[in-house]
Amino acid sequence: MERFLDAVFLGLSSGAIYSLVALGLVVVFRGTGHLNFAAGEMATFSAYITWVVTTWTLFGDTGLPLWLATLAGMVFGFALGATTEVFIVSPLSKKSPLAVFVALIAILLGINAIDVGRWGAPPSEEIDSLFPNDPDDFVRLFGAVWRWEDIGTLIVTLVASALLFLLFGKTKIGLAMRAVASNSESSKLVGVPTKLVLAGSWGLSGSLAALAGVMVAGAQSQVTPTMMFTIFVYASAAATLGGLDSPIGAVVGGLSIGVLENVAAEFAPEWIGQEMKLSVALLCIFVVLFVKPSGLFGTERVERV
Amino acid sequence: MMPLKVHWGSPGHWAIRLIWVAATIAFVVYIPTQTQPGTIGDMTVALELVAVAMALNLVMGYGGLISLGHSAYFGLGAYTMAVLVDHYGWSQGWTLYVAAAFGFVVGCLTSLPALRLKGVYLALTSIGLAVLFPQLVKWQKLEWLTDGARGIDNLQYDEIPVWPILGELDGRRGRAVWMYWLAVIVATIAYFICRGIVKSRVGRSLIAIRDNETAAAVMGVNRARTQTIVYGLSAAITATAGALFGIRINGVSPDQFDLILSITFVVIMVIGGGATLWGPVIGAFAYVVLEIRTREWGGGDSEGLVGVLFGWLKGSPATLILAVVLLVLMFVAPYGIIGLLKRLAAKFVVIVPSPAGTRSNVPPVEEGLDPSIDEPFPSVSTEETP
Repeated sequence: MERFLDAVFLGLSSGAIYSLVALGLVVVFRGTGHLNFAAGEMATFSAYITWVVTTWTLFGDTGLPLWLATLAGMVFGFALGATTEVFIVSPLSKKSPLAVFVALIAILLGINAIDVGRWGAPPSEEIDSLFPNDPDDFVRLFGAVWRWEDIGTLIVTLVASALLFLLFGKTKIGLAMRAVASNSESSKLVGVPTKLVLAGSWGLSGSLAALAGVMVAGAQSQVTPTMMFTIFVYASAAATLGGLDSPIGAVVGGLSIGVLENVAAEFAPEWIGQEMKLSVALLCIFVVLFVKPSGLFGTERVERV
Repeated sequence: MMPLKVHWGSPGHWAIRLIWVAATIAFVVYIPTQTQPGTIGDMTVALELVAVAMALNLVMGYGGLISLGHSAYFGLGAYTMAVLVDHYGWSQGWTLYVAAAFGFVVGCLTSLPALRLKGVYLALTSIGLAVLFPQLVKWQKLEWLTDGARGIDNLQYDEIPVWPILGELDGRRGRAVWMYWLAVIVATIAYFICRGIVKSRVGRSLIAIRDNETAAAVMGVNRARTQTIVYGLSAAITATAGALFGIRINGVSPDQFDLILSITFVVIMVIGGGATLWGPVIGAFAYVVLEIRTREWGGGDSEGLVGVLFGWLKGSPATLILAVVLLVLMFVAPYGIIGLLKRLAAKFVVIVPSPAGTRSNVPPVEEGLDPSIDEPFPSVSTEETP
């Protein structure tokens, strides 16, 4: 039981990260119908920017506090996402979906090249965690260890998703976003600034990714250029599991994949263990796509012939 | 200036083709005989990439099926070679055939998602394949076979076979020349396989499925069989190139075959020009030349414009330049470099196809200097009906 709870707690925190990135993917997919393949690299880049900001010494000689730097990173992520939409995705959408795909791949490659070229060589960039993460920072719950860091990650994710749902459900911006997602042409006709809304969705996605990136970097105490590759795969698995156009699906999907893979790794150390955790996520993608392509919460797509 | 009109199949057309072939052969022979081992090595890399890019072009250019999983096939070939040589004492040359066969089988198996999924969903599963491969190699259940995260290195290679026409082959240069010719053979075979597919029933079926699946199915095209075969062949070629790669660097390790490698393959194919036979060739050589030219750039000690642009990078800016070039190409020339070249060539020479029905054989889908580009960069969505 303790082992099970240990794995669940661990899974909830990694699942929270997947949920954040998956939320970003979903927000973009609802708006533009594209999967943001560069989301992972946007997160890494923003995490590096966050690290750079923490080294600024504006007040005295200690550098900026991490939470402030994280906010700066999220603003940067927003700008990155919005710029991508305005200058690249939107003009290319008119040509072909494959052109958008290739352009996003180019952005992925370019950001990765910048990360590797500028910061990739050792020594690596050390960054603190947003949460207390000393070896004795944990609570015991039913005998299992729940680390403060894991609790913090989960809370941040839940708060971020709650804010996002408020944004979607209660504000005019959210209404405009839902309108564009539902029918872009008609919403343009009734005066919704479609372009602005789409740029906003991509920016939001970039911010969420940036937050996730800082937390991933904090958990491993350093920023590395490849840290988001597998996380992107997990996140897209989460988004697929929840249905690519459902925000609640992204959160539920992320958390369940996180828990599932950690429980599997804990109870089948021989067969799954740390190396093959990813296969759990991939299996999720495959099963969902073959059995119910719209995912758990997604809307069924009807194609007219 | 009016462009010169050359009729299809006329002596002038044959002259253009002959010059093209002669120039290619001259280039291929020039490299190993006249240049330094370093250059021979670089060109060997280019030829391996040519084979992979052509293989990818079959699936993605002609087939319209997004694949970011080709690094897995590449790694599969390299690992097949390394395991057979290191654990079972095979000679390296023979492992190429096994790698190709193994690649074909795995390619056919992994084509199954492509039969049901489209667009982003297919891209997702193929990314999964690329990310899974290094993990699979490191898996402790497979460690007896793959040596886990350490990888396999220091392969015992045999004496270089003596081919009298190549002259004396010994030492570093000898091995470089031998690897070069091996790569030439593999790339040539890859070219003729692609050409054979594209200009045959299978290729026309493939293109028909890409352009309008429903219409193709109505015309009696067997989608499952066509795409599975093409996937298998593509994976087989990629695996063979992977085995060559492993032989050349004399070892394999899991993290060489990551997602970035897959992306590099896609970039090479797209930069050269998708859905054309020579696009991948041009893309691969352009990539390698860029890599060579920029090797000394960056690192803070370069001067002038290069220093200003790339001085802040610690390493070579090749990948960054590549990404920017790709982005720009998407806007100005979605048909890649070969599209630009064709547009340029069309100012001077136009090859006029002969009217339908005057030739017994079916007109080829595309040819080196043909200016009429028929949508080499297909749309994936099925919503657009012509």
